[in-house]
Amino acid sequence: MRKALPILLILSAIGLSASAQGIAGGHVTGAFQTDIQMSHADSVIGAQDVEERLLINTRADILYQNGNFRAGLRFEAYQNPLLGFEPKNLYKGQGIAHYFMNYSTQRFSITAGHFYEQFGSGMILRAYEDRYLGLDNALLGATITYRPVNGVTLKAVAGKQRYYWDYGAGLVRGLDAEVNLNSVVKPLAESPLHLTIGAGYVSKYEEDETIYQPSNPEYKLNLPLNVGAGAARLDLSYGGFSLQTEYARKGQDPSADNDYIYRHGEALTLSAGYAQSGFSAQVQAKRVDNMSFRSVRSQSGQMLYINYIPAINRQHAYTFLSMYPYATQTTGEMGLQADIIYSIDAGTPLGGHYGTDINLNCAVITGLDTTQVGERGTEGYTSPFFGTGDLYYGDLSLEVAKKLSPKLKLTATVAYQVFNPIVEGHGGDLHHNAIAIADLTWKVNKRNRLRFEAEWLGSDSRYTAASADRRAGDWVMGLVEWNIGRHWFISASDQYAYNDGVGNYYNLAAGYSQGATRLTLGYGKQREGLLCIGGVCRQVPATNGLTFSLTTSF
Amino acid sequence: MKKSIITALFAIAAMVSVCAQNAKFPDNINIKTLDGQTVTTSVIQNDGRPIIISFWATWCKPCNLELNTMKDVYPEWQEETGVKIVAISIDDARSTNRVKPHAEGKKWPYEIYLDPNQDLKRAMNVGDIPHTFIINGKGEIVYQHTSYVEGDEEDLIEKVRELLQD
Repeated sequence: MRKALPILLILSAIGLSASAQGIAGGHVTGAFQTDIQMSHADSVIGAQDVEERLLINTRADILYQNGNFRAGLRFEAYQNPLLGFEPKNLYKGQGIAHYFMNYSTQRFSITAGHFYEQFGSGMILRAYEDRYLGLDNALLGATITYRPVNGVTLKAVAGKQRYYWDYGAGLVRGLDAEVNLNSVVKPLAESPLHLTIGAGYVSKYEEDETIYQPSNPEYKLNLPLNVGAGAARLDLSYGGFSLQTEYARKGQDPSADNDYIYRHGEALTLSAGYAQSGFSAQVQAKRVDNMSFRSVRSQSGQMLYINYIPAINRQHAYTFLSMYPYATQTTGEMGLQADIIYSIDAGTPLGGHYGTDINLNCAVITGLDTTQVGERGTEGYTSPFFGTGDLYYGDLSLEVAKKLSPKLKLTATVAYQVFNPIVEGHGGDLHHNAIAIADLTWKVNKRNRLRFEAEWLGSDSRYTAASADRRAGDWVMGLVEWNIGRHWFISASDQYAYNDGVGNYYNLAAGYSQGATRLTLGYGKQREGLLCIGGVCRQVPATNGLTFSLTTSF
Repeated sequence: MKKSIITALFAIAAMVSVCAQNAKFPDNINIKTLDGQTVTTSVIQNDGRPIIISFWATWCKPCNLELNTMKDVYPEWQEETGVKIVAISIDDARSTNRVKPHAEGKKWPYEIYLDPNQDLKRAMNVGDIPHTFIINGKGEIVYQHTSYVEGDEEDLIEKVRELLQD
């Protein structure tokens, strides 16, 4: 019955549109994606045999829109799930995973069914989806957004979170208000100072359960059934200057993530920047302390998070720059990031004939300076606000992009990274990596482009059978990509450990794209490692074989 | 269960065939300005002339290439066709604060909005980026394209020119 519900919903939507505006009113749009994988064993890179031979993930989104009314559903199928979608038995299956109805005017929006929402930067609430991470914590329930006057936005949400093909037991309720003072306060209407303030509160309810203190097994923890988290934020800009800050605080929330301690949680982010045409500089700082917030207290892994704490370091796009990706430590971390972008004008000594773009970025992330004060069932630890702990991650990179001639463009990057394996949950020495990358695009003629990429990574880590870290060692990589005509591309790449490492990861790919449809076919070896998007990471195993992917929107 | 899915699919197919005209660009989705103000997509206007809408993110290399390349030809395009380019950033909390400095640093002359909750991205069925749309003077979506390689921008302006001839 529950599965038939979305169908009824869509049919009623069709009926509604037929009666209100005639059957011709409204539009159906959608998207479709399928990914197919065939992988076979390779002991060098650690790829396992796939007993099904063929793994397929498919999704189709259908959206119906008629004036202010919108309804949608999403079909998902994991038959069986691609490698890395673990635990496999929980992902496996097919059906309508997402459905909703929405009515929106310029002032008012109400959604019943599944929805995504975010308060501020998401430190107390962010329901979102990432298909590549296999992550979807959509809320099933209802949400209202109301803008009574220009500049004021009020939101209310209530629901349960999606958990694979089921829902978490906890209830999530939240309220948020945001005011743009320039729209509301008359004297500020024409002011060059732009000011937006906001605040939100989220509460989760979960039934009691029995958790004992390990050293006193007769002591059962008195668990809070309702846990609240509040946040306040400010967004200010004046000419080229801008400042954004948000502070969040969470009540006692003993959970598997913090080993059932009763310390409150808090997080602070601060971002200050200056930007003018051709130049910008920005500094960001963050402190996170015991801020894992889930709708089910016993949950570990990546599901059922109510909030989202992004990583503060830059999200890199090149292979070796993202070989050691940083995953946010929601239990505690401190971070600083600085970023400078400078476009040097053409015709100046540094800019040359066509101008030069420079981007300098650095980030440092550490743990907290914590002192243990008790075990499970107590405050757990204390930590001074400005105290830093172990170095988790460091990253310094310089990227220079330069057009050499009307046909040639070069982007060169050098970087230095320090990575502490403790952020992946295991000990070991720090990895120190130096990286250099050259990326050259050659516009052969109007419709043919060749792109060459050469990457080098020098590391002080070496591969050992005990650590089995296949990223270790010194690496080189080459890539050639040829865009042929309007629709086709082929590419070939190889990553090779020339010193202290193992593995030779070659890849061949070809693709076709037209309009909003894209087909790609690949053959080769894919490295095991962390796939990270926005500081959230998923372990993906090594694969060796064929991949096929089709995406389209209509 | 299976029957009801098939019924629904048929109903949808019937509707698609009935309403073969182009879908409208939604005007009631909440997005944010670079100053942090929440507005609806009704602010995206160009006085009855075409609009190019490009979904991008600070970390997306081909998106940056597309927006950088169009920067050079945009003044000519505007003069010739009156087209407006609107860039919608789908950066999440990790990098929303970087969008404004990023765009300024790269001297992008576009109207830029933030879609941090990805409401507009979902309403327009955008999966991977870059994903670029052309909206005609009546607010209808008349063309869309995913991915970018240099030269694709010439297809965009060709489509815009065709719209003006109709």
